[in-house]
Amino acid sequence: MESLKMKEKLKLTEVWFKLVLLVFFGLFFLLAIPYPEKSKQFPQLIAIFSLIMVAISLITDFTRKGKVAEGIADVDDTELKVLDMTTQKTKRKRFYKAWTIILLSTAIGFLGGFLFTTFFIFIGFPLFFGRREKLSKNIFIAVLMTMIIYLSFQWIMGVPLLTGIFWDFS
Amino acid sequence: MDVITQAITFVFQWQNLAALLAGTTYGIIIGVLPGLGPSAGMALTLPLVLKWHPATALIFMGSLYKCSNYGGSLTAILVNTPGDASNAATILDGYPMCEKGKGGVALGISATAAMVGGTIGMICLIFSAPFLANFALRFGPAEYFLTAILALSIIAAVVQGATIKGLIAAGLGLMLSTVGFDVITGHLRYTFGWEPIEDGIPLIQALVGLFAVTQALVLAESAESISRIGKLAGGFWEGVITYFKYLYAIIRAAAIGLFIGVLPAVGQSSAGLLAWAEAKRESKHPETFGNGEPEGVISSETATNACMPGDLVCTIALGIPGSVGAAIFLGVMIIFGVIPGPLVFKEKADIIYSLFVALTLTSFILFLVGMTVARHLAVVTLLPNEIIVPVILIVSLLGSFAIRNLMADVMLSLGFGVIGYIMLKGGFTPVPLLLGLVLGEMVETNYHRALMISGGSYFIFFSSTISKVLIFLTLLSFVGPYLGPVWKKLTEGEK
Repeated sequence: MESLKMKEKLKLTEVWFKLVLLVFFGLFFLLAIPYPEKSKQFPQLIAIFSLIMVAISLITDFTRKGKVAEGIADVDDTELKVLDMTTQKTKRKRFYKAWTIILLSTAIGFLGGFLFTTFFIFIGFPLFFGRREKLSKNIFIAVLMTMIIYLSFQWIMGVPLLTGIFWDFS
Repeated sequence: MDVITQAITFVFQWQNLAALLAGTTYGIIIGVLPGLGPSAGMALTLPLVLKWHPATALIFMGSLYKCSNYGGSLTAILVNTPGDASNAATILDGYPMCEKGKGGVALGISATAAMVGGTIGMICLIFSAPFLANFALRFGPAEYFLTAILALSIIAAVVQGATIKGLIAAGLGLMLSTVGFDVITGHLRYTFGWEPIEDGIPLIQALVGLFAVTQALVLAESAESISRIGKLAGGFWEGVITYFKYLYAIIRAAAIGLFIGVLPAVGQSSAGLLAWAEAKRESKHPETFGNGEPEGVISSETATNACMPGDLVCTIALGIPGSVGAAIFLGVMIIFGVIPGPLVFKEKADIIYSLFVALTLTSFILFLVGMTVARHLAVVTLLPNEIIVPVILIVSLLGSFAIRNLMADVMLSLGFGVIGYIMLKGGFTPVPLLLGLVLGEMVETNYHRALMISGGSYFIFFSSTISKVLIFLTLLSFVGPYLGPVWKKLTEGEK
């Protein structure tokens, strides 16, 4: 039972984030050790201060959440939980989909230039989040927006939008 | 006075007027989009104006910052959705007015409040800022160090309402500000051999990631469009006339707005809500508040608009941002080489006073915009998320890329976007992180300078009266949030 409660607490993004921060600040403190005295003084001071704050916050979380759970233990919130889980699931699915579009578009941008990122983000979101029956309209908008960006940034401002690993049209 | 005349001449040059109009329009559009407040607006456009004259760029940014609040009030009134936290008080009476068929009246009140509140605030700013600057001349490295720490602690404590979380975020920002070459010794820190961060974490890319990318990800999670639009009724001019019927309420709300604005980190949302609460408390018919009472909209909107110039006082004269938007504006000023502090009124007088004049002018332009096109701009809220999200992403990432023409910067922004998103989900706000990143170098440099002056003695941080006051205020900001409940318990115990 106790381990189940602990698992429930560790599921929270907040706790995970704080644990990551604990490692991050600890790592930054250790990495500063070989630096010259003046270079390491400030980062180490910040790291120690932040480590203390994260530790206090984590301790508070574990004690307070335990109390809250005890206080509402007899409340039947099964329906709410199911509803919440469904919403969370949908949101998570959309979040991963968005990230896939962003990362793939960025990767393509690395290869062919930022203009490709622009096109694939403009086409990706309406295609995977919008209505697929409007495909031709979405493609038209994506092409139009990409052209506007190309004209205003590459032509007018001289930003190299077609410079990637494969070619360089700057 | 000469400097103000020069500033007026400068602002009326065509490119500055164009920047002012562009900033006004863009600010209103950004304000209309819920969640995209002045912070995200400035983050999105910053890369586009980097090559402009600093004064022109700051005029654009300043008017954007000021007008986004007005845009937010449009959606607050029309669709019960505040564009930013600062418009939260406006929905209390603005939307019920709309439901009663007085949407046009509410919009008229809101536009007049933007003009009157903003002008009162700007006039006070123009005349009070140099006095504050003279006071700030007494500041040495130790005082600057303590002032930055005070700003961070107040932002950490107030912005979120959870001091420890705010301090952790501020610590993260300060820690990240140490990445790259150390300004004192020239030693390379925490770069892990990655060249793009050798000069430090680039502020703009971080800003774009923390606000714009994070916002895009949050919007992408939802299938709906941003909002539904309601029907407009009632006359704009009826609203203008109604506004001037409540002179006492206007003066009281403007005073509250200015006072709250000068206090670091308290911000426009608190100003609007406080003014609304005060108007209700003093009203002979408090039961009408929250049910479409025009005085409620007048109070909240006037206070919010008067608060913005107050925010700028601390930001420009002392380098302490008065709100989230002001914190971003502080970063923008630093990027353009306008270092906030007492000397800025002498060294960059032309830029600062041009900004002040432009912002005063913006108050009147806002009224004209409100009179003509504002109600049509609210249509933006009808756009579905699958259209808004790619636009936000492309505009922000393109800006991030265009600064150094590096795809690595896009990755950096996306990385900060993830950090911002996780922070939001974890109940943190990225604002203290950004402020830590902005003020980090100033904190570290002044820390070392103070110690050099004192020969390594930490006593320098406690020696002057200003230092003592600053330390007291910092400690107060730490314990302040806990004092309220303790006091309540004590008084309840006595009863």
